[in-house]
This record gives sequence, C-alpha cells and structure tokens, in this order.
Amino acid sequence: MKSEKVITKPVDSRVSIKKTKWRTSHVYGWLFASPWVIGMLLFFAFPLLSSIYFSFTSYSIINPGEFVGLQNYRDLMNDSLFWTAIYNTVYFTVFFVPLSIFCGVSLALFLNMKVKGMAIYRTIFFLPTLVPHVAMAVLWVWLLNPQFGLVNGMLAAVGMDGPAWLGSETWSKPSLILMSLWGIGQAVVIYLAGLHDISQDYYDAAEVDGANSVQKIGHITLPLLTPVIFFNLVMGVIGAFQQFTLPYTMTKGQGTPGNSLVFYVMHIYDNGFKFFKMGYASAMAWILFVVIMALTTLIFVTSKRWVHYQGN
Amino acid sequence: MSLLNRVQMICSLMAVLVLVGTVMAGCATGQGDSANTITLWHGMTDTGKETFEQLAAQFEEKHPDFKVNVVYIAQQGEGRNEKLLAAIAGGNPPDVAFFDRFEVGSWANQGSLTDLTAMVEESDLDLEGYYPFAVEEASYKGKLYALPMGTDARMLFYNKDHFREAGIDSPPKTIAELEAAAEKLTIKKGKRFERIGFIPWLGQGWTYTWGWSFGGDFYDKDKEKVTIESEVVQSLEWMRDYAKKYNIEDVTAFTDSTGSAASDPFLTGQISMIVDVNAKISVINKYKPDLNYDVAPIPTPTGNDFTTWSGGWSLIMPKGAKNQEAAWEFMKFVAGEEGQKNYSKNTYNLSAIDSINQELYEEDPIMKQFVDLLPSSNHRPVISEGTLLWNELNKARDLAVRGKGDPRQLMQKVSNKVNKELEQ
Repeated sequence: MKSEKVITKPVDSRVSIKKTKWRTSHVYGWLFASPWVIGMLLFFAFPLLSSIYFSFTSYSIINPGEFVGLQNYRDLMNDSLFWTAIYNTVYFTVFFVPLSIFCGVSLALFLNMKVKGMAIYRTIFFLPTLVPHVAMAVLWVWLLNPQFGLVNGMLAAVGMDGPAWLGSETWSKPSLILMSLWGIGQAVVIYLAGLHDISQDYYDAAEVDGANSVQKIGHITLPLLTPVIFFNLVMGVIGAFQQFTLPYTMTKGQGTPGNSLVFYVMHIYDNGFKFFKMGYASAMAWILFVVIMALTTLIFVTSKRWVHYQGN
Repeated sequence: MSLLNRVQMICSLMAVLVLVGTVMAGCATGQGDSANTITLWHGMTDTGKETFEQLAAQFEEKHPDFKVNVVYIAQQGEGRNEKLLAAIAGGNPPDVAFFDRFEVGSWANQGSLTDLTAMVEESDLDLEGYYPFAVEEASYKGKLYALPMGTDARMLFYNKDHFREAGIDSPPKTIAELEAAAEKLTIKKGKRFERIGFIPWLGQGWTYTWGWSFGGDFYDKDKEKVTIESEVVQSLEWMRDYAKKYNIEDVTAFTDSTGSAASDPFLTGQISMIVDVNAKISVINKYKPDLNYDVAPIPTPTGNDFTTWSGGWSLIMPKGAKNQEAAWEFMKFVAGEEGQKNYSKNTYNLSAIDSINQELYEEDPIMKQFVDLLPSSNHRPVISEGTLLWNELNKARDLAVRGKGDPRQLMQKVSNKVNKELEQ
C-alpha cells in the first residue's frame, strides 16, 4: 500500500484493507476448523438427518428395508412398553431434576464457606463424578443390597426396616434417583463458579442494612444464581430424559422389577440393536428429540420471569 | 490476497485434506486383508479364550500357509452383538465368529450370515454325529448357516446334606413334591430367608424351562406362528402363586443379596435346590469341590415325561467375509470332531457331537446325567424374532411373578406382539 492512496481515499482503502484482512483470517479460521466441521457434518449432521428418513422405513442396519410411511409412529402408539418407558422416564425427570438443583445449590453454598481445608471437601464431593457409570452401578447395587447393604444396615441401626430398594417396584426408581444424585459434583462446580461471580458489594450493602444470612441467601445469592440454575435445569432435563447406563447395567438390560426400570433410551437401544428395528428406534429417537426440544423451549420462555442477570 | 498467502493457503488446505484422508484410510482397513489370514471373533475369557488360541495354533500347524488371528470381542453373545452387526453392515466383518446359536434364525433372516449348505455338501463334514436339535438351531428355512459347537442342558441341582437334615430321601419328581420339599427346607426369620428351599425363577428357571416341563409348547411350526399353549400359562400361574406364598419382595431381597461364582447361593448353602445348566458343575468343582450334591430331572406336574432344553454356541461366517475358503477350512477344524473335543475337554463343556460327550463323560456321574438327557432335548424356536420372543417371555414371567397382570393375558400379549413382527 502507498501512502498517497491513503490520503486520497482514506475511507475506502481502510475498508478494503480491513476487508482483505477479514477475508483471509476468515478463510484461515474455517480452514483450521475444517477437520471438525467435516467431522460434524459426516458423523453428526448426516446420521441425524438420515435417521429422520429411517424413521419412516423398516431399516434394520443390515437391510435398507422399505418405506412404511407413518407405520412406525402408529405402532409406537400401541406399544404398551413404549408408554411404560415414557412414564418411568418422566417420573425420573420430575423427581431427579428439582432434587438435583436443590442438593446442588445447598452443597455449593456449604462448599463456599470460608473454612480451613475447603479444597479437600470440594474434591471429596467432586470425586464421585469421576467414577464410571458402570462401576457406580455395581457399587450401588452393593450399598443398596436389602440384606447386608450399608444403607439398610444403617437404617437397621436406628431400628428401621429398610425396603428392598432395587428389588421392589415402588422403590426401584427412588433408588435410581438416589444413585444419580451421587454424581452431582459436576453441577456443584458450576454453582460454585456462579457463587464466585456474585459481587461482594451486594453482601456488604446487605450487611449495612442489617440482613441476616438467611435473608442474604434469599434476596441476593439465589436470585443472582438463577442464570446458573437455569443452565443446570436445561442440562439436567436433557440428561434425565436420556437415562440409560445405570438402569441398563443394573438390570442387565431387562428393566426389572416388573418393567419399573425400563427407560426410554433403553427401549430405543433394544429395538435398534437387538430386534433389528432401527427404523422403529429412529422414530422413537425423534419423538424424544421433539419432547426435549419442546421442554427446553418452555424453560427458555419462562426463564424471562425468574432468571436475573447481574447488572440488569 | 498475495501470492505468498495463496501458497500458504493451498498448503494448509493440503494438510487438512491429508489429515482427513488418513483418518478415513484408518477407518477402511479394519481387518488384515492378506488372503491367508483368517480373523476369528469370540467373546470367551479364561479357558475358553486360551482354547481358541490353542485351536488356532493347531490349525496353523496343519495348514502352514494360513494364519489365524484370534480376536477377543467383549461384546459378543445373545443380544450383545453390536460390534459384529456394525462390522457386517459396514462390509468389513471378521471371517469367522463364535456366535450364540439361538440367534442364527434372526440373523439369517436379515441376510447377515453366509449360507453354508453347499460347502457342507461338498466337504467331508458329516452332520449325522451332531445332535438334531443343534443342527436344527443352526439352520433357517432349510439352509445351514452355522456349525454347532458346544451345548448345554438344564437340570435340578439339589443339596444332599440339606435333604438328609430335613428328612427327604429322594429328589422331587412332581411339582407337588417339589413344593413340599421346598417348604421343609426353607428357614425364614422375619422377612429374611436364612435358607430358601427353592425359587422357580432363579438360575435357569425361564419361561421356556417351566413351560416345556409343564408339557406346553410355544411355537407352531406348520402355521409358522407363536402359539403359547395353556400348559405354559399354568406354569406361569404356578410361579405367580409361589411368589405370593413366599412374598416376592422378600424373595427378591434374598436373590439380590446372593453372589455368583464362589459366593453362589447353592455353593454357600443359602438355597437347597436350583434349576441350572451344566456350567454350574465347573463352578462347584472350582470353588467348593466337597459340596455334597446331585442332579435330577426338572420336576413336572405328573412326575414323568421329564424334559429339558439346550442352547449353545456355533461358528458362523458373516456375510461379506473376505476369505471364505480359508474360513471354511478353519470352521470345519474347530467345530469338527477334533476341535470340539479339545474345546469341551478344556472348558468342561458339553459338545454338540454326541460321541464326544459319551467318550469324555462316561465316568462322570453328574455330567453323564446331562448327556443322557440331550438326545431328547428341546431347543428354542428358530424364528426371525427369536430374541424378541425370549425377551418378551422373560418380561411376562417377571410381571406375572410380581402379580402385575393375569398370566393368560400376558401370554396373549406376547404372542400377539411377536406374531405381528413375524408377519412383517
């Protein structure tokens, strides 16, 4: 570039310089991202879109099958196990998500106190999330063992007769909720980050106004934690609807006792990989997608009423 | 854009393409492609795995120009064949796989197995020596898709010491005797079973086991339809009443508390009678060789017409196997007399060939009783929906035992559901 040009057409040239710069950096950016872009297209977008088509066919992984229109969706409506799976999944979500938020926030508040050795406590609460799900299932099967498990042992020590836990239809899902709460560490870390984000000024001001600690939590901490709660709520619902590993491992894929642990994704898996009904499984997967999408939208729409961002 | 930039860009583009290319290439060469390498997939651990490796070595000695690549796949067996399924669908399967015989029907129906009928006819392999049920289970619609290898059977194991203690002289023959013995043997304190005489649905007490023992059947070959007979419903009703009498939640608390292998309830003396497969014998020999026990046929309502059923494994050649001729040679060797004999001897398993069992277990008082039952053994129906039927029957048993639904209606639902799938 020559300086005279800059004087004669200052604006244009600056724009053109910017443009070229922007163009090249843009191209480079895409280039660097291209392996992932290609990967996403090949291994995510393509299978995702294919499965829409498959849901209208009798595809079986081995054979392309035939186009059957809405038959898969119609069959699903008459599949009693499909409804059982929906009931179990919704039950789990309705109880687990609020509980996990309640426990997560409470734990985070405790772990946010200025006590000696806090790092150790935080580590202790985070550790369970590092345990693989399958190992966790095995461990909990022992803990909840009706006759010599630790849980019933402790209940017996205080004179209570513990239930059969995973052997009882009434208690199997609550057992699972209890187990899942054990892996809450991930959410707690996010809550902790949210707590750190709340400016000390608010608390100082409240202190001057003579607020006690309960009032501080109610009026400052919780409202300003809502963005994080909102995030965890959305992720929690998405995760809860896809409950699979724990119940599948514990019941060897059977969903016993009495179908009380048959979850939606387990039903998808069985049909897709055991009964050669990938088309049917795809239809189920898309119904799940629509349901989760609708719920997420609902949470987003209502979030305007209860999520408070700092500085607004 | 300057020339330099352009060169740089082209270079980076090339780099990316090379990168993606290598990833793709990596995906495409799954198996050894040399024409003389035979790849075998199996899901056996322990002695089973060692035996396969031995058999491969023996085969290589006999055929020096072949190489066998024995690969352990953790997920292989009934309802756990995702990897094999994906490999066949991707056109990149192993040459031979050790496969649950019971699934041959549904896999052959999908066209995922190589038809072996012509190969058997051209070869010196004689299927006469194999148990008829095993060959039937390895065939689908008149064509052979697998070579049977190994089998099993179900019998009632009973603890002789417990029997003597309770003053019972001989193993129960009828269902009524079985219930009476179970009652005598059970020791319950509050909600806890110190010892339980018998649990029909434990071990190998599947819907098939009791349905056949009660004299019922599940499938009509002529109509090619699932028709669950009333005797099967009766067996479910019996299990339901049994569960009521002993309180299902207490029984589940007991069964959930039992272990396996060394802490198997039959070995620890927590249960006096159990229906199980012959594999139980090796567990007993390994962990509690001094256990004073014996086996008897599974009791029936009448006390005669005893029956059992058998499953077992097989060797298949997936559709799209690259070295069919070499694979066939290897299959013949492993599932033939010599291979099966070694396999059965090492793993203490029943062979699918009668003469081998006669030879190996002539002097073995317990195993002999299993061998004697085999010629008249039942096998699960060979249909395209075998796995679905198996799952549905077990779910129905679980629901019936928990008093969730009337057995007759539950069975009606099972046959409707499976028949609907069969028609498609």
